[in-house]
Amino acid sequence: MDAIRTQRLRKTYRRRGRGRGRTVAVDDLDLTVVSGEVMGLLGRNGAGKTTAVEMIAGLRTPDRGQVRVLGLDPRTDRARVRGVLGVQLQAPRLHDALTVRELVRLHRSFYPTGRDPDELIDALGLGEVRGTRFEKLSGGQQQRTSVAVALVGAPRVVVLDELTTGLDPEARRGMWGLVRGLRDDGVTVLLVSHHMDEVERLCDRVTVLDGGRVVARGTPASLVADARLAPGAGLEEAFFALTDRAAPVPPITEEAAP
Amino acid sequence: MTAPTTMTALPAVRPGPRAWAALALAEARMVARDTAGLVVPLGMPVLILVMNGIAFGTDQVLPDAGGRTVLEVHVLPVTLTIVVTMVGVVNVPSFLAAYRRTGILRRLGVTPASPAMVLVTQGLVGIVQIAAGLAIALGVAVWHFGAAGPARPWAAAGALALAVASTYAVGMLVAAVAPTPQSAVALGLLAFFAMGATGGMFGPRENLPDAVRDVGAVLPFGATVDTLGSAWVGSGAPGAALLGLVATAVIGGGLAALWFRWE
Repeated sequence: MDAIRTQRLRKTYRRRGRGRGRTVAVDDLDLTVVSGEVMGLLGRNGAGKTTAVEMIAGLRTPDRGQVRVLGLDPRTDRARVRGVLGVQLQAPRLHDALTVRELVRLHRSFYPTGRDPDELIDALGLGEVRGTRFEKLSGGQQQRTSVAVALVGAPRVVVLDELTTGLDPEARRGMWGLVRGLRDDGVTVLLVSHHMDEVERLCDRVTVLDGGRVVARGTPASLVADARLAPGAGLEEAFFALTDRAAPVPPITEEAAP
Repeated sequence: MTAPTTMTALPAVRPGPRAWAALALAEARMVARDTAGLVVPLGMPVLILVMNGIAFGTDQVLPDAGGRTVLEVHVLPVTLTIVVTMVGVVNVPSFLAAYRRTGILRRLGVTPASPAMVLVTQGLVGIVQIAAGLAIALGVAVWHFGAAGPARPWAAAGALALAVASTYAVGMLVAAVAPTPQSAVALGLLAFFAMGATGGMFGPRENLPDAVRDVGAVLPFGATVDTLGSAWVGSGAPGAALLGLVATAVIGGGLAALWFRWE
């Protein structure tokens, strides 16, 4: 069963000032995330990852194409999709005068069932700052609070945009353990990241975006193999090799399928 | 693509009373922790009341006002109107603009709680704040200056309800057009002082040029002062003032709904 599926997804933005026109942020994106897997979405800055995530979350309307989360359209089936989809947006955006505990409890109240806020706070290493206002937290603590808020409704599908950006190595390891725990619980994860080591360790499959288009997809090992690099090269070298390619991978469409 | 039945069987999740209460509590906490935003609409009107009460005294009886004093017919309505206008036109839009700027409305957009819930709960919290401000001002007026209550209490309550509706409409319009939280505060204060200056906040409206006075009388501030004053005296509310309040609520609210942006 597909947890997330996009077909020929396209989004453009209007450019202002000099060089007016439209910038293509996402172009013909076909993405399939199977239930229970951890899918990595890799790309440089401006590759279209966050725009893709925002369309999957129902925050942006595609110019063209289709998004389905557990078979439902996140814009028209809002009430159903929001109940099963947890989203951690790239920049933590929460009520800054509320404490960690107040924020997590507030978001827990939006769902009929979910995780225990205090247990989740402890699991994310926020126990010591549970009574601290969001505005007083460090960047890493804000990031972890944002993750807690995304997970407190016990979602079946989770989108994590730049999960470990700004975290110290220990906190990163903690987050990796959290993602593994989600997979063990059968939760589907779409992990958007710049960090090759993170993707290599956590993801079952990876989709690489460049200039809004898919340039490679497969398991981390298959991407490295496809890049035909010298022995010992890893995903990072493969990523650079793959994103330097000019020709994108043709989109998989039902029309194009044999 | 045909969705399997297990997918379409997902229940629709809509926030229940617990979510509404939690969000209202969160909004109340946000307001209570914003010291300046809390103290100004509650403290400044009382300061104005006290200063005017001392200046005018409590025994200046107005002619043809059923024995009512200047404090009751002019000073107290102005004070109460400041409370309502300050919250509606300055506080509410500054919060909403800040939420929009920081992406909180957007963040709520990925949860079952809709950003519209924030609008409603902010409005409710603002009403609680207004109620607190009115209670403090009335308490000081009655217990310290010996002011009597309105001759027509229900008319006064109705005037305050219309005042809340019209000032919220102006506040939402400010929130709709202001691109940043700072500009929302600036626009809100501009609207507040423009309506206050033409509505009698800085002195009797009779001293203003005719055209300015006439406009001030139908804008929310002046219209509320006149309607409350008539409720205190026990006379009928001025038609132009009532029309002004209703028109501002309808037109301002409509334009705000049309132009409001979540992000």
